Amino acid sequence: MPAKTSRLTLFGFLAPAVIALAVIGVGPLLYAFYTSLHFFNLTKLKKIRFLGFDNYSSVLTDPVFWEAMGRTFTMLIIALPLQIFIGLGIALILNRPGLGFWRVLTRLSLVLPMATTYAVVGLLGQVMFNLKFGVVNQLIGFIGIGPVNWIGDPTNAFTVIVFWDVWQWTPFVALVLLAGLTTVPGEVEEAAELETKNWWTILRYVQLPFLIPGLVAVLILRTADTLKLFDMVFTLTRGGPGSATELISLMIQRVGFRAFDQGVASAQAIILLIITIILAQIYIKVFYKEV
Amino acid sequence: MKFRTCVSGLALMAGLSTGAAVASEWTLEKAAEPYAGTVVDVVFLLRPGYEAAEAMLPEFEAKTGIKVNIVKSPYENALGQQVRDFVANGDFDIALIDLVWIGNFVENEWVVPVSKFTSNPDLADPALDMDDFFPLVLDAFGGWDGEIYGLPFDNYSGLLFYNERMLKDAGFDGPPKTWTELKDVYGPALTKDGKYAFALQSKRNETQSADSFARVLWPFGGSFLDENFRSNLLSEQSQAGLKFRQDLMQYMPEGIVSYDHAETVNAFAQGDVAMITEWSAFYATLTDPETSSIVDDLKIAPEPMGPAGRKPALGGFSLAVASQADENEQAAAWLFIQWVTSKANAKEYLDRGGVPARQSVYELPGVAEEFAFVPALVESWQDGVPEFRPRFAEWPEITEIVQEWGTKIMLGEVSTEEGAKILGERMEAVLEEAGYYSGDKPLAQ
Repeated sequence: MPAKTSRLTLFGFLAPAVIALAVIGVGPLLYAFYTSLHFFNLTKLKKIRFLGFDNYSSVLTDPVFWEAMGRTFTMLIIALPLQIFIGLGIALILNRPGLGFWRVLTRLSLVLPMATTYAVVGLLGQVMFNLKFGVVNQLIGFIGIGPVNWIGDPTNAFTVIVFWDVWQWTPFVALVLLAGLTTVPGEVEEAAELETKNWWTILRYVQLPFLIPGLVAVLILRTADTLKLFDMVFTLTRGGPGSATELISLMIQRVGFRAFDQGVASAQAIILLIITIILAQIYIKVFYKEV
Repeated sequence: MKFRTCVSGLALMAGLSTGAAVASEWTLEKAAEPYAGTVVDVVFLLRPGYEAAEAMLPEFEAKTGIKVNIVKSPYENALGQQVRDFVANGDFDIALIDLVWIGNFVENEWVVPVSKFTSNPDLADPALDMDDFFPLVLDAFGGWDGEIYGLPFDNYSGLLFYNERMLKDAGFDGPPKTWTELKDVYGPALTKDGKYAFALQSKRNETQSADSFARVLWPFGGSFLDENFRSNLLSEQSQAGLKFRQDLMQYMPEGIVSYDHAETVNAFAQGDVAMITEWSAFYATLTDPETSSIVDDLKIAPEPMGPAGRKPALGGFSLAVASQADENEQAAAWLFIQWVTSKANAKEYLDRGGVPARQSVYELPGVAEEFAFVPALVESWQDGVPEFRPRFAEWPEITEIVQEWGTKIMLGEVSTEEGAKILGERMEAVLEEAGYYSGDKPLAQ
């Protein structure tokens, strides 16, 4: 029977992580909540005053905030299913036996988009989707399509950021789902294949239960990532043209660091945090079941 | 009485001769002696004027022993970077102030008036000659509420850059004199075969506010605010300017709302656009064969006139001593600012790609011939509007609104009237909160 571990030892092991979390995560969060209750503009620090929940009510009744939120969720609703659909397809292909060297090569190449910094992806987009010099217009020119104004047109610009997000994060989804597929016991799969040749039946009743934990993780992580997506869009379009690509994170940054209104920006960020937590809870309750 | 007059005269002469002796004795090396080894931190932008100053820096450091630590930043980050530093009582000893930031920096007491140093004979170069700065530029870039805080350093006026060959090929002997002529005569003639008559940089950042929106307000008699600080954007004149911009867009490249300075200058430099209105600072880029294919065809004129006159775009930066610096750092910072903006260094600064605000340098023989932009620049600085963009502390908030709704107007998402109405309401809300309407703040811009 193992000896009882003292409380001090437990605390000693836990303390560094707890303290780090408190300093890096909880402290700033509490401070953000504090600023969200105040008029707190960096260029008007002499005028700081307590406002109660005024910042929250002005954010919740601000159509610009909800437009940005709508844009963010539109992006999520378009990009996430695409990532899951394409990612699942890639995972299923890579899970087939007999690919050998190609499987290794594909897995390696799948890591590349994820390893590219968000900001660099945006800057690459600026060059590749340039109306006059961009390689994308050059490529579509080969099949007889005239140059498309990718970044200067509101609808096209939104399409470009969705495309870039799908390009960068589909590999992540593919790798997570591939990991899930490798946990399906071989004998179960073989037994199912003896029962039916229908791949959909096998996917639905044999493989999918093993993919659910990975899918929930993907849903939570990708939702959180999309809600806080900033770098790529900022470097690519800076939220424009007009407000066409101003996602919620860009709006918060604009209010907090370009108009310097930290109070309103903090209120916006906390509302976003609450929405993210609610969504994560819904995902877990609706989708997650222990296999 | 005679005796007193005589004594007074002698005293005056003695005073003058003492002053002259001090003046003749003042040297940068001597003034900097107590501050050798001091490090001053300053933000520099990634633009030709800053590269010019950086190239001159070794001379200053060798003479003074003062180290100037440059933190390079793109324009869009420069304000945020400095605000965070000043709020946190950080490292910057010199403030780089865009003319629209001056009210903000002064109200927050982040900068020190130059009088603190000009009144100190140990630090003030007798050859400083404040009157040599273009008055409009000194007032707009470095002045606030009757006090001078910064010395003009990186100075711009909007100019009309045009491709002489393209204009000649289309049958024009010279550039358009008015905006209407540019649109109605030059526009149709020069927009053909994948080339465009004009490009107006309009990206959704300060470019939209300063280079695009404000540029069409003033020449048509419009303005952001009326004399009571209420929105003037729905006035007949402001609307005329905004509608003019909408009409002019047919002669600009597609996607002009995503064009920043780089795209606009590049389109012109590659011969795709016949005319642009850009800052004088881009002269160096357009005359460099490595970045421009139209060097031999480049001509420069003042911006076209509108019904209300020329009123060209005015922009630029001053350098001011930061109040958060300690006394030694302040003194060292002042010596650098005074040196880099001095009359004596203006020609070298100009030669290296900068645009000084010293009147005397543009009067030197050969300068107007060597630098083609000089006559237009000097003319523009006689006819500029200091409040081209309001310079009060609320501009960072207001420019965000202008950028958003200015772009929406250009994209046709809202009409000029609808856009101006919403923009005006939001602008007034910011000014109301600031206390301009309650009388808490003077109506200064």
